[in-house]
Amino acid sequence: MQENGRIEIRGFLKLDSFIKKKFGTMPYFLEMDNSISGGDLAKLLGIEREDIEVIFVNGFVEGLDFMIKKGDRVAFLPPGCPGPYRIALGFYGKNQDNPANFKIQKKDAATDS
Amino acid sequence: MHKFIRIDMTSLKADIGKVPEKYVGLGGRALTSNFVNYEVKPTCHPLGKNNKLIFAPGLLSGTNAPNSGRLSVGAKSPLTGGIKECNTGGSSSQMLAKMGIKAVIIEGMPKDNQFYVIKIGLNEVSIDKAPAEILGGCGNYEAIRLLGKKYGEHVGIAIAGPAGEYRLPSANISFKDPEGNIRSAGRGGLGAVMGSKKVKAIIIDETGADKVPIAKPEAFSAASKVFAKALMDHPVAGQGLAAYGTDVLVNIINEAGGLPANNFTSGRIKHNDNISGETMNATITERGGDGKVSHGCHRGCIIRCSQWYADKQGKYITSGFEYETIWGLGADAGIESLDDIAYIDRAMDDMGVDSIEVAVAVAVAMEGGLIPWGDGKAVLQLVKDMAKPTPLARIIAGGAGIVGQLCGLYRVPVVKNQAIPAYDPRAIKGIGLTYATTPMGADHTAGYCISGNILKIGANLDPLDKKGQIEYSRAMQIGTAAVDSTGMCLFVYFGIADNPGGYQALVDMINAQYGINLTSKDVDALGASVLKAERDFNKKAGFTNAHDRLPEFMEYEAIAPHNVVWDFSPEEIDEVMNF
Repeated sequence: MQENGRIEIRGFLKLDSFIKKKFGTMPYFLEMDNSISGGDLAKLLGIEREDIEVIFVNGFVEGLDFMIKKGDRVAFLPPGCPGPYRIALGFYGKNQDNPANFKIQKKDAATDS
Repeated sequence: MHKFIRIDMTSLKADIGKVPEKYVGLGGRALTSNFVNYEVKPTCHPLGKNNKLIFAPGLLSGTNAPNSGRLSVGAKSPLTGGIKECNTGGSSSQMLAKMGIKAVIIEGMPKDNQFYVIKIGLNEVSIDKAPAEILGGCGNYEAIRLLGKKYGEHVGIAIAGPAGEYRLPSANISFKDPEGNIRSAGRGGLGAVMGSKKVKAIIIDETGADKVPIAKPEAFSAASKVFAKALMDHPVAGQGLAAYGTDVLVNIINEAGGLPANNFTSGRIKHNDNISGETMNATITERGGDGKVSHGCHRGCIIRCSQWYADKQGKYITSGFEYETIWGLGADAGIESLDDIAYIDRAMDDMGVDSIEVAVAVAVAMEGGLIPWGDGKAVLQLVKDMAKPTPLARIIAGGAGIVGQLCGLYRVPVVKNQAIPAYDPRAIKGIGLTYATTPMGADHTAGYCISGNILKIGANLDPLDKKGQIEYSRAMQIGTAAVDSTGMCLFVYFGIADNPGGYQALVDMINAQYGINLTSKDVDALGASVLKAERDFNKKAGFTNAHDRLPEFMEYEAIAPHNVVWDFSPEEIDEVMNF
């Protein structure tokens, strides 16, 4: 964690090119005075909610309601992370209330086929 | 009738027989591991005449079930000294299944130093002397081209590269994919076993083969459609793997602080953007030419996580350019150029070596002062030198364990002498338990699938907390052993773990193909029985619970950025396999 007034921001998968194109750099540093939720930070950056499954804050997987403080390192992760790391890194404890969670959107459709 | 083909390399005779009763209901890993446990002398030398090498398609291979084209290969491992199963894509599994071949077994060994090519047709097996031009250091790409010219472009090929001929512990078995490129049964040195039996290549010619018989075709077709939908509806298929390959994990694991760097002395790197899947995608797209961001490693693959990576002129360099290879060379060995890593990956495929074992061995050698840190050009030359092999190339191809020993190091990231892959167990503890306890030696693919209620297992898992990790590792290993037996690619994981309908569809396909009535519990029981057979073999080979441990340095060297150590007690680790 950096002890300054900035948030260090990254995006992965499709958000990698989004951030590089929109802000010209990766990571992008955003000056902040106050804490902000992951969801509000995404909105501020112009990232669609459906493009985020979880966020990383200082190396830990968090949900979009997690409050981000200045000095934090944040990464936005869209749906699409493969492998058992989804479980091992704690996605399933953090993505259940997220409308972008495929489990809510897609499960029934496949089950009913 | 299914066929069980035994090829005795001592007498150079083949027997095409019926499947023994005890193997009838088995396929893939369930078959190879039970076979090795039943028939291989546990204390045999892995490169001696008493070891046996078995190839087995999965239960669903050869059908039109999506992603069912994996081939399991088993033997006693010359790297670990224990049982080994590794599986691969390519064309061979589906061909063997369509030919009604349940397994191909190679046993014995010739007394002379002549190498052979085995050709398996629909109803016959021939054993010919290997052409001189594919021996003595000829790379796999050229050897596959020459064999295709001789036997036909349509055939499937399994080949021991130069490393296999020289019986080096990291030698893999390479398989021709649908475009004539290379996939690998990578880990544990099975290429050295093939080389010890003086088998340079196996040619599989499916000419005349019919479709795989399906007992209930309509039910199979219905279940297959549900299964395909479960895969394709999931964002991992469309938005993750197909676009960025498995290398999508570089940024994610780096962010989680679990990307082992500089021989496992840190969990995060700064040059991740150079080697990420996102950068790979952008580079392939920008360069055009032969490059493709998405490619299937076998017919019927709908996930298409592979890719063709091209050079600046758009000329093909390598395919199946995997996260673990890129991590090993890019983070663990500090090589910052993705192009340099691509050329090394190609060279490793050409020599027929496990790209995880060799990459980790390279990083250990860098710490030991044998190679400059991050020197991609030096590593490329070393891998090419495996064709001779030079003494240093032979040492590196010996694997991370022996390199660490020869360099006088204590920081040697191996379990059961097999290199730890790309997820640091200190920062992702559940995977550490799998590395420690799998009968395979450190292997991330040993704990890759789950069949039960994922939320029950993983809802509150914290990667740094021990809570729930034992149950997680156990469930993942059992689920993986079951899926490995079906011939399914492990990437079907997300379609069955996140979607109960997908898992039921997998069971329904097996039932429809064979006209049986398995339940999901039966499939779980199959996975558990496979693990028990594997552990039984290892026990008879001399392994004890004391071998189920991570390297000691991880207990006292904390890894950044989370500054955590490995803190499971021996008693806790032993609970994983207590079922």
